[in-house]
Amino acid sequence: MKRHHVVVRITHWVNAIALTIMVGSGLRIFNAYPAFARRGETFCCYPFERRPIPASLTFGGWLAGARNWHFAMMWVLALNGLVYLGFIYLHGEWRDLVPRRGIFRDAWEMVRFYLTVRKDHPRQGKHNALQRLAYFSMPMVGIMAIVTGLAIWKPVELSPLTGLLGGYVWARYWHFWAMLLLVALTFGHIFMVFTVDPYSIPSMITGKYREDLSPEARNARPFVHLLPTNTRDDVPQP
Amino acid sequence: MSRNPDPSLVIRPARSTHPAEQLGIDRRRFLAASGGALGALLLAACDSQGPESAKGILKFAEEKNEIVERALLSHSSMDVPRKSAKIAGERFPSYFVSRHVPVWDEAARGAWRLEVGGMVAKPLQLSLADLGSLPRTGYRLDHFCVEGWTAVAVRTGVRLSDLARLAGVDPHARYVDFQSFDDDYHESWDIESAMHPQTLIVYAQDGRYLNAAWGAPARVYSPTKLGYKNTKYLTKIMFMPERNGGYWSDRGYEWYGGV
Repeated sequence: MKRHHVVVRITHWVNAIALTIMVGSGLRIFNAYPAFARRGETFCCYPFERRPIPASLTFGGWLAGARNWHFAMMWVLALNGLVYLGFIYLHGEWRDLVPRRGIFRDAWEMVRFYLTVRKDHPRQGKHNALQRLAYFSMPMVGIMAIVTGLAIWKPVELSPLTGLLGGYVWARYWHFWAMLLLVALTFGHIFMVFTVDPYSIPSMITGKYREDLSPEARNARPFVHLLPTNTRDDVPQP
Repeated sequence: MSRNPDPSLVIRPARSTHPAEQLGIDRRRFLAASGGALGALLLAACDSQGPESAKGILKFAEEKNEIVERALLSHSSMDVPRKSAKIAGERFPSYFVSRHVPVWDEAARGAWRLEVGGMVAKPLQLSLADLGSLPRTGYRLDHFCVEGWTAVAVRTGVRLSDLARLAGVDPHARYVDFQSFDDDYHESWDIESAMHPQTLIVYAQDGRYLNAAWGAPARVYSPTKLGYKNTKYLTKIMFMPERNGGYWSDRGYEWYGGV
């Protein structure tokens, strides 16, 4: 049995590409006016007003280029997200992702383990409690990004939505925060994959996963027990 | 599934090969190759416009987006700025494409007139006084710039739908082109956005006649269009069967530019 269904694997990588382009082009759009204040006003809650994002982190080359990418890729991101959510709902994978009772207690145990307060890896199913929280938050923040994005794309035609978010200026701010959260979750995810469970990378490509190399089996925390212990029963020791 | 019946019970792994080794790749080479590929991808992406071959896809997406935007456009959805929003006043940005602030040269070009023509039964030539004598409409409105900023101003003028009625626009006219004396600046619109009740031919901002920086003597303004679609320094309003592009629309910005 594969660890991840082929639909999950494809939507994962489509999402990775679409999200990268959306963030890059979004930052390029932001740089056309790297502030939130309405003209003639000040904005309370962004300390870097009028300081642009480094161009090397942006995509699209110029404002129109970035906008064209952003407004094309948004459909890929949204439709891909719908396929993913529809699939995990119908196929049952949502059970591995939706927080269960005691999720915060279990997550706290994971934190204690990572901080070496606790010696043994907490028992888990497919994902540990921190992963569950992260993988559940990701689509939620994605929905937040789409809703706030719609609100600033059409602040007049969808004015009830924009109004609900506090108006155009605030909707734009929430859209920026959605981006920050998505980037933070993504970097956390990538960091944990490489420092705790790099053996899960093939499982998101071919679907194959060796349970005997799982973080729980290795008792692995970031950078610790990264390599499997060098004992092989089937090979004579020197 | 793994060879072990209950993986959660396994403490010590049975085998030690790296996934890359199983694929017959040297571990060091695997790392170098994946690092190189990632670096190349990042370099290609940074601050670039993306691959040339994507242009067609982007154009396709813009056409499909226009269908969605047209479907969303409604003559009953009105822009109402937040109560707390301040009028930008003197802080309202000014913008034009000429080297200097465009000013109508009466000595060289005669008195300014706004021409309403194209597919109309009765072409109009309106002076500023003529515009002022027509039914006056004023709104406190948001301005949505393509760059992402907004500003609030009170816009006073004549509804374009009133002017259209006066000129007797042909029902087959589908587009409107707004032309200016700011070099060759113009932008064409779909007629539905042009007939929105908040689409005005504006001659006053914040209760005063427009100054040169803000598009005097008259400009089109609608909160349903991004700033660049709202031509300033108006000379002609042409009703047409086909679209006619626009200054920024021809330079890569989306033609529809709806809000």
